Amino acid sequence: MRQKGTVGWLKHDVTNRGVTAWLLFGALLGFYLILYYGGREIAGWHVPDVLESAARLVHLPSKWTLYGLIYTLAVTGGGIYVIQKYRHNRYQIIRTLVVIFVQATFAFSLPWILAIFEQPEYYFSYLWPLKIDYFYPSNILAMPLPFVLYSLLGSLLMVPLLGIFYGKRWYCSWVCGCGGLANTAGEPFRHLTSKTSASWRFEKWSIHITLGLCLFTTALVVASFGVGDRYPQFTQAAVSVQSVYGFVVMSILSGIIGVALYPIGGTRVWCRNFCPMAAMLGLIQKFGRYRIRVKDDMCISCGMCTKYCEMGIDVRAYAQKNQDFVRASCVGCGLCAEVCPRGVLRLENRWHKDPQELTMATLLNEAYKG
Amino acid sequence: MHYVIVGNGVAGTTAALAIRKRHKPKHAKITLIGDESDYFFSRTALMYAYMDRLTRQDLEPFERKVYARQAIDLVRERVVDIDAASQTLALGSGKSLSYDKLLLATGAKPRMMPFQGVEKVKEGIVHFVSIQDLDECERLTWSTNQATVIGGGLIGVELAECFHHHKLDVTFLVREPYFWPMALGEEEGSLVSEHIRARGVDLRHDEQLEFMEADAQGRIASISTNQGNKLACQMLAVCIGVGADTAWLKQATSAPRIERGICVNRAFETSLANVYAAGDCAEIDMGSAGHRIETIWYSAKLHGELAAKSMMGDTITYEPPIFYNSSKFFEIEFTTVGEVINVPEGTHALYRKAPGKFITQRIAFDAQRVLGFNMLGSRWDHTVLMRWIAERRDIDYVREHLHEAQFDVEFGRAKLHQMEEKEVVS
Ligand SMILES: Cc1cc2nc3c(=O)[nH]c(=O)nc-3n(C[C@H](O)[C@H](O)[C@H](O)COP(=O)(O)OP(=O)(O)OC[C@H]3O[C@@H](n4cnc5c(N)ncnc54)[C@H](O)[C@@H]3O)c2cc1C
Ligand code: SF4
Repeated sequence: MRQKGTVGWLKHDVTNRGVTAWLLFGALLGFYLILYYGGREIAGWHVPDVLESAARLVHLPSKWTLYGLIYTLAVTGGGIYVIQKYRHNRYQIIRTLVVIFVQATFAFSLPWILAIFEQPEYYFSYLWPLKIDYFYPSNILAMPLPFVLYSLLGSLLMVPLLGIFYGKRWYCSWVCGCGGLANTAGEPFRHLTSKTSASWRFEKWSIHITLGLCLFTTALVVASFGVGDRYPQFTQAAVSVQSVYGFVVMSILSGIIGVALYPIGGTRVWCRNFCPMAAMLGLIQKFGRYRIRVKDDMCISCGMCTKYCEMGIDVRAYAQKNQDFVRASCVGCGLCAEVCPRGVLRLENRWHKDPQELTMATLLNEAYKG
Repeated sequence: MHYVIVGNGVAGTTAALAIRKRHKPKHAKITLIGDESDYFFSRTALMYAYMDRLTRQDLEPFERKVYARQAIDLVRERVVDIDAASQTLALGSGKSLSYDKLLLATGAKPRMMPFQGVEKVKEGIVHFVSIQDLDECERLTWSTNQATVIGGGLIGVELAECFHHHKLDVTFLVREPYFWPMALGEEEGSLVSEHIRARGVDLRHDEQLEFMEADAQGRIASISTNQGNKLACQMLAVCIGVGADTAWLKQATSAPRIERGICVNRAFETSLANVYAAGDCAEIDMGSAGHRIETIWYSAKLHGELAAKSMMGDTITYEPPIFYNSSKFFEIEFTTVGEVINVPEGTHALYRKAPGKFITQRIAFDAQRVLGFNMLGSRWDHTVLMRWIAERRDIDYVREHLHEAQFDVEFGRAKLHQMEEKEVVS
């Protein structure tokens, strides 16, 4: 008899932490090591700079351009897959198109075009505190004024304002490249994010610690610039803190761990646990208009929303208790609302809920005389 | 006080948690007994487990440590006897357990009919109600090319979707002339049928199983229908409804009154003192409104909550809320509120359909007010629709305000003003 039946993501080796998943993890890890440390020494071992040579081979200016190209292709390819998968959901279609657009322009071609016009390399889709160096005085001085204004106003005004009005999602799942990759090429791994209460506790600590480190580093670097050469030891200390932050947070956590861990820890390890931008926006989001609305008493506790939440939120816990909610970590990707078979969830931006004189709860309460 | 709950489904588990919410462990010992699984799981999500979207553990609505934290003792056993005189239960392992208050939340079992030839079939007939049914389906899928589903209800269509997902050739026999006349109007029912067929399922209406044949090993090999068709299949899914599982109770030392289900009054009390029943297994005596069996998740949850209160001494008079339910036929989402089909003859309804798309609405109404809604293909906030019924809004008001009840995703609102509209009389 012919064998039938399909093997879904939850059983497939690549998407269920099987051997191939670990191999993929190893390959990605190797890729990032070579990308970041090619041509340098780690622990006495000279890392070959193969990506630089590969870039030369295809006539690209540097390995970073090659990396940008690969990244953009991954976002575009994954994006097309996601759009076709969720083609009946206009929120997903529009969001994914924007993600692809931002990646292809602001994060990839625009810096290239800027280079042609002999302008400094600048990414309009990245802002402090994620791009910590945009607040470093040395950088500010080197940039043309419009870029500096954009950086400062963007981080201090635009980010909080948009956060208040639309929640964290305008950035984390519409603009940011890290989120962009997670929501496109990372789609098959989204269910791997841990949903345990322990992982929630870890995230609360880790992400706020990283935000603290980021603020501390920025302040130190700015201060050391202020004191100038008067206190060389202080300046020295600031430089080392800056480089440690760059090494630990920017290379290890955001690049190497962030992407390489997709097949093991799910797509948003970096975004959920470490990103200082996400931490800041998350705090803002708690006071803003964004929320996930839950239709009262319609949840069948199936768990689809929880399973496919890439931020590890137990959405079902709220849904089955009829609890509208907003969690700091929620990036508003909208997948919980998409996979919910009973249409229980809806992302919303509004200060107040509709006035409901006769809520479901009161209807039910009136239904028995207790 | 020892509260014993038989059945760790949604009714039983909700009741256990409701008791614990009010009484500390030193005042109330709670034992939750179930024979099907170690932990409460969501039966409604069985199809997603079968389609490999969820693991077994994903089906569990609570983290496992919740039970220890709430001091709810879990017992994996089958209860085989009740003795109301000594207030004890006998368990399958031979142990016994005494109770002060007992809740029977034993759910429902799939219905079966004595089909001709069924006695020769040892393997290949499946149901889709329990975890064990799921195990069996998964085990058999790999050696199946053709599967037949009989019964055009909600479980039947879910299982047809699962089989289709696993790339089996699916024949779906529905004896009614269009899909689910019990709940859908003819227009929508026919659209659902078309939709299911368009997905590649061989859906046949007005066709029923007559007899079945097995191969030499006892595996189902074919079925024959009243239309004279013989259909080869290696799996036959019988989804012709569920009924309370009361066979064991009828033989108990003290049996409560049983009709189609375990009879209870509006306080969920059975005919035995200190014994209550809730959920799918309960048949509620609503007085002049007759007896009522509700076999949906939402009512089981509500029963559990109320039965717990009743067991804790509150005065409860169950009044079913305005009916609502939801489902999904392949991708088509369905929300129903109030009464749409089960209405007096001559009742009017507004039927609306989006041109070229499977988005429909049917709103039943009489001269004074709207009676019910059947909404397919887009999302609705049933609480708003319920409110309109409760507030006795008329059809003009509802038509004008309909958009306020929409619940579609952002950017994806169904375009209500573009819909074709007609009035139909049932
Ligand atoms: C495939 C499927 C899909 C469904 N989808 C929906 C849906 O989308 N929406 C909806 O509203 N409803 C749906 N339902 C119906 C819904 O699941 C039920 O109404 C609900 O689960 C009933 O809950 P309950 O607690 O009364 O019983 P159950 O969930 O059946 O729990 C009863 C438990 O008691 C155990 N038990 C029975 N007898 C004994 C005994 N003697 N000793 C020990 N344990 C015992 C049983 O093994 C069982 O585990 C669906 C049902 C099925 C099968
Ligand atoms: S996916 Fe929907 S029905 Fe399922 S648990 Fe989540 S909110 Fe409830």
